[in-house]
Amino acid sequence: MMSTVARSGALVPYLHSTKHAVKSLLTPGVKDLAPAAAPGGIRLAHTDIKIPDFTDYRRPEVTDPDKSSQESSDARRSFSYLFTGATTVVGVYAAKTVVTQFVSSMSATADVLALSQIEIKLSDIPEGKNMTFKWRGKPLFVRHRTEKEIAIEEGVNVSDLRDPQHDKDRAINPNWIIVLGVCTHLGCVPISNAGDFGGYYCPCHGSHYDASGRIRKGPAPLNLEVPHYVFSDEGTVLDDHKIIVELLLLLRTELHDDLGQRFELSAGQPAAQQASNSTAYRGRGFE
Amino acid sequence: MLSEGILLKKSLVLNSIQCHYIPQKRCYAATRRSEALTEHLTGLAPSSAALLPTQNVQVSKLPSGLVVASLENNSPLSRVGVFVKAGCRYETVENQGVSHVLRLAANLTTKGASAFKICRGVEALGGSLSVTSSRETTVYTADCLRDHLDLLFEFLVDVTTAQDFRPWEVDDLTSRVKIDKALAQQCPQIGVIEKLHEAAYKNALSNSLYCPDYMVGRVSATQLQSFVEDHFTTGRMALVGLGVQHSVLRQMAEGLLSVHSGAGAPVAKAVYRGGELRVQNNDDLVHALITSEGGVTGSADANTFSVLQRILGAGPHVKRGSNITSKLSQGIAKATTQPFDATAFNASYSDSGLFGVYTIAQADSAGDVIKAAIAQVRGVAEGHISEADISRAKNQVKSEYLMSIESSEGLMEEIGAQALTTAAYQLPDAVLQAIDAVTQDDVVKAAKQFVDGKKTMAAIGHLMNTPFVDEV
Repeated sequence: MMSTVARSGALVPYLHSTKHAVKSLLTPGVKDLAPAAAPGGIRLAHTDIKIPDFTDYRRPEVTDPDKSSQESSDARRSFSYLFTGATTVVGVYAAKTVVTQFVSSMSATADVLALSQIEIKLSDIPEGKNMTFKWRGKPLFVRHRTEKEIAIEEGVNVSDLRDPQHDKDRAINPNWIIVLGVCTHLGCVPISNAGDFGGYYCPCHGSHYDASGRIRKGPAPLNLEVPHYVFSDEGTVLDDHKIIVELLLLLRTELHDDLGQRFELSAGQPAAQQASNSTAYRGRGFE
Repeated sequence: MLSEGILLKKSLVLNSIQCHYIPQKRCYAATRRSEALTEHLTGLAPSSAALLPTQNVQVSKLPSGLVVASLENNSPLSRVGVFVKAGCRYETVENQGVSHVLRLAANLTTKGASAFKICRGVEALGGSLSVTSSRETTVYTADCLRDHLDLLFEFLVDVTTAQDFRPWEVDDLTSRVKIDKALAQQCPQIGVIEKLHEAAYKNALSNSLYCPDYMVGRVSATQLQSFVEDHFTTGRMALVGLGVQHSVLRQMAEGLLSVHSGAGAPVAKAVYRGGELRVQNNDDLVHALITSEGGVTGSADANTFSVLQRILGAGPHVKRGSNITSKLSQGIAKATTQPFDATAFNASYSDSGLFGVYTIAQADSAGDVIKAAIAQVRGVAEGHISEADISRAKNQVKSEYLMSIESSEGLMEEIGAQALTTAAYQLPDAVLQAIDAVTQDDVVKAAKQFVDGKKTMAAIGHLMNTPFVDEV
């Protein structure tokens, strides 16, 4: 019996079909007609695997295969490290900014903060009068003091006081005393322009406060609390948690006299300068 | 030194070493004229290693029906093949194309190894794994160095008996099927032969080696699995090894290949009907193949038809020669001056065969070429052959047979074909004697069988001048 080879002669390859699952590279001759028809596993690394040309992205110092890359290694390394370091710093700063923004978003919102501050037009308060405002749920006394009252309060001997505080420590501008209208004894609201000392009188237990809000007589232990406040120009809002006391043009002359005593401005200076001087006058509230 | 190096290209290594040490001596091939190649080279100590004895092919049949054949050829390479009667003739109407997909599925994941492991493992051994399928048999061949055969055999067993046919992997094969078909389409000979078989038979052998268009992408994993279960049984398989001990191979076969045992599905007999298929296209060359029923494998008829084939001409024996020994070429050359080619076609299967004439002609001379070719065969049928023709043809058959089994691929194919059909191996001498037993009367009778038998024709090309089979 003979195999198909001897039987069919030249047409033998067409009578059967061969597929190479794995072709060894040792056997050079391929018997099947179509060696390129995707067998299982012939890959030749030197022809089949195409590595793209990355020359555009490589550093020029290392593209030459015949030159050692050691000479440029220091420069390349330092550049890489510098760049990485700078990027890291910028990244950290950016991260910090983002995180702070997110974390500070959890603090009090603007409307809450807005409630926490109050703007008072001082022009509405005539001299010698005390006005009461509601601020943070508590009464706020704004008293426009007369010259006489100022002189009296400044002349008081501090050592005699139960809660020793000089008047200038309690008022940024001695013309205006701004205190919380809450008696430090048990929290009643004192009556203004009453009492023996020309200030406030608390009717609940008979505490007398003077025109500076200091306790003089009665059961209260401490002076009336002075909140943080700042005098500002028209409409300028400064910091939170402070009373912004607004000055209008009508009162400018009054303050100008006042300021002139402090900063010894010469008369005849233009109004703008005066206004800027008044804005320059910023006191710190009670910390 | 350099010029001597160039001169040394054709001389022996030993001579070149001599030249290195004696640079003034010119080394030409002529200096060895006195030393015949049959004599030992002077100055060489004879090899003291004992020659390994040449061994014969050993064939044995296991109780499960598996045939094991091996030849220890003392080669550093081992080659193992699993021959299975699972060609495309065993496809049914429902699963056409399953053998093609099975051929491509040889490297898919199996129960014992993944596709990557098979590929990587075989490559690591430096071996190769391939599958060849004809109409009747599918052969899985693996070869590697002799020392690594046991590892390779595991992979081979995995691929042949432990297939997993994972659905997604089978789906990925669709593109490879298409590539395969496209490449086969490039080759007109494949097309003609497939069309011929389709026209010649009603069933079995009419199935094509390649998946039909309507089944591309539709062969499912379950179809593959059932095909394997029906046909990859030990009763239909043969294990052939070259460069391996018979006992070792038998042991491997016993241990590992006894998965599906039994005889397998029944075989349908191929029924020859004789038809005609013509494919009209724009090709200038017309490929035409006219056959009628030929000899069955292993019968004396098959040898007779082989001799007749060589008488008529089966391919050129001298490159770019005038093919003097081919009756077909001589006859057709008288009929036309345009270029042509003609060869006798002979195929034998287990229950049928085909014998005829394959012609390639220019479109306008195709009719002349075909008619001249058939006339030549008719001439042989009428007895116009000489003893010299027959002896020449017999010599050609014998020499082609012997040369085919010189290489390990051809030898394995031969042993496998014989083991699968007869469970024995005929030595080449016996085959040569069978060829010598063909007489002139046999040849004339065979030619008459062709002339008188019902013919089948397949033609591809621009068929305006190609006659129909009843006009030939």
